[in-house]
Amino acid sequence: MNLKADLINPFLEAAFDILKRMGKTEASRGQLGLVSSPVKGDEVNAAVGVTGDLLGQVVFCMSEKTAVKLASNMLKGLPITSLDELAKSAISEFSNIVTGNAVGELGDQRYICSVTPPTVFVGRGVTVSTKDLDFLLIPLQTEIGDIKICIALRESDS
Amino acid sequence: MKKIKVSHLVPGMRLAEDIFLPNTTVTLIGANTDLSVEMIKRIEALGILEVAIDETEENSKDEKEKKLIPILIKNHERAVTAVEEIIKPSSEYPLEEQVIRGLANDLLAQVELDSSLLLNLTHLKSYDNYLFSHSVNVAILTILIGEVLGYSKEELNQLGVAALLHDLGMLSISPEIWQKQGSLSTAELAEIKKHPLYGEEILKAGDFSEEVLAVAGEHHERCDGSGYPHGKKGKEISFKARILGVTDVYDACISFRPHREQMTPQQALEQLLTEKEKYDPVVLNAFISVMAIYPIGSLVLLNTGEVAKVIRVSKNNPFRPELRIYFDREGRRLVKPPRVNLAEDKYNTLYIDQTLAAEEHKKFMSMLDQD
Repeated sequence: MNLKADLINPFLEAAFDILKRMGKTEASRGQLGLVSSPVKGDEVNAAVGVTGDLLGQVVFCMSEKTAVKLASNMLKGLPITSLDELAKSAISEFSNIVTGNAVGELGDQRYICSVTPPTVFVGRGVTVSTKDLDFLLIPLQTEIGDIKICIALRESDS
Repeated sequence: MKKIKVSHLVPGMRLAEDIFLPNTTVTLIGANTDLSVEMIKRIEALGILEVAIDETEENSKDEKEKKLIPILIKNHERAVTAVEEIIKPSSEYPLEEQVIRGLANDLLAQVELDSSLLLNLTHLKSYDNYLFSHSVNVAILTILIGEVLGYSKEELNQLGVAALLHDLGMLSISPEIWQKQGSLSTAELAEIKKHPLYGEEILKAGDFSEEVLAVAGEHHERCDGSGYPHGKKGKEISFKARILGVTDVYDACISFRPHREQMTPQQALEQLLTEKEKYDPVVLNAFISVMAIYPIGSLVLLNTGEVAKVIRVSKNNPFRPELRIYFDREGRRLVKPPRVNLAEDKYNTLYIDQTLAAEEHKKFMSMLDQD
């Protein structure tokens, strides 16, 4: 079986669904990619850890402009001008829910996983590295800008 | 202890006994553990049918709240009565600033005691003395926003005084108008719209600051110029009146009024954000920090299918409030509703999927009100 291929649809479905319902935007998928660690981030990066039957990291990368718009939409249109704490909590929640839903979908098949609280990194030139894991890249195009999902997950040994 | 079918388990329930891997003596999850979403999935996946749940254990937070609630309710009632007694005869005697200050200080102390519990109480709406309970509730909300904005104690007191007196002018209008069922005539509406002017006039006779006067006179002015009585815009409206603009509308929306449907807290919040050009963005931001996206008292649907009520919000974490889960996945009322703090790491995969639509909200609310 190919774990990476199995991961694509749950993440796409979760991201499309949450972007539509909470982010108030339609999204489409770009060209999938597979890159070896480290992967280059964007201005705003939210990293979510996965533990349980699957182990690893999922990182959501986007520009600050996109992050602010996404946060404002998630906060029911609250006027937001900069990436303040409120906005970061929205990006954090977005990453948490998409990852939680995606691995939850896998759970209905064979994996039961938990996610750890997201960490949001802000700044240019961020790179994300993981030990001996390739990243599966899912680029998304939305009405509020591009969002890149980088997934590095493997089955746990136990 | 009570045996519960696995399909009826909800996150936050506490295990009374160890759960073993089937046909072994290997413990899967130990007794006294509060169940997370993953644990429930794991239990289901193993084909276990029933588990023992501890329903006697009283959460220490619950105990503390149980003691505090009657005190807060009593203080709240007392505040409403005091406002009524002091404000009502204001047409005959001038208001004493000192007395109102004392009232505002009492409210300030209550807010410091437990603001979340207090916000829960402001949803306990009385029907007969709307004007006075509205003044107290608006004062509580306004003080909370002042705190987020970093106001000093003295400023918070002034804000409280201003909020307690903001609708004073309503007393100059015939109660038949503001208690009227159904819609108002053009003449009646025009009269209602004069209450800020009447209020300002009464206060001028007392020893109140310019700010308190401005709040009474300007709390219906809107940033886009759509308000009344003068149609002032943006910075022409004093900042404190801009705060009141938000809290006054919010409380009025969630209150029972004879001339229109009562809104859910969620609807009231959405109403404010839909018309955001009317309000100061700084105030709206502070309001969201206090009330969160899912305001206290909202009924919400969890991604796992349970229905819960928001009981506390945590600062800077508007998506992850503390909840009490009242209905399981099958819509059955729980005897001992567990309390779940979404801000805790173990509940990371649990989240609020949506707030209930107004109809559903009412249906579940009435089921909760039965006891």
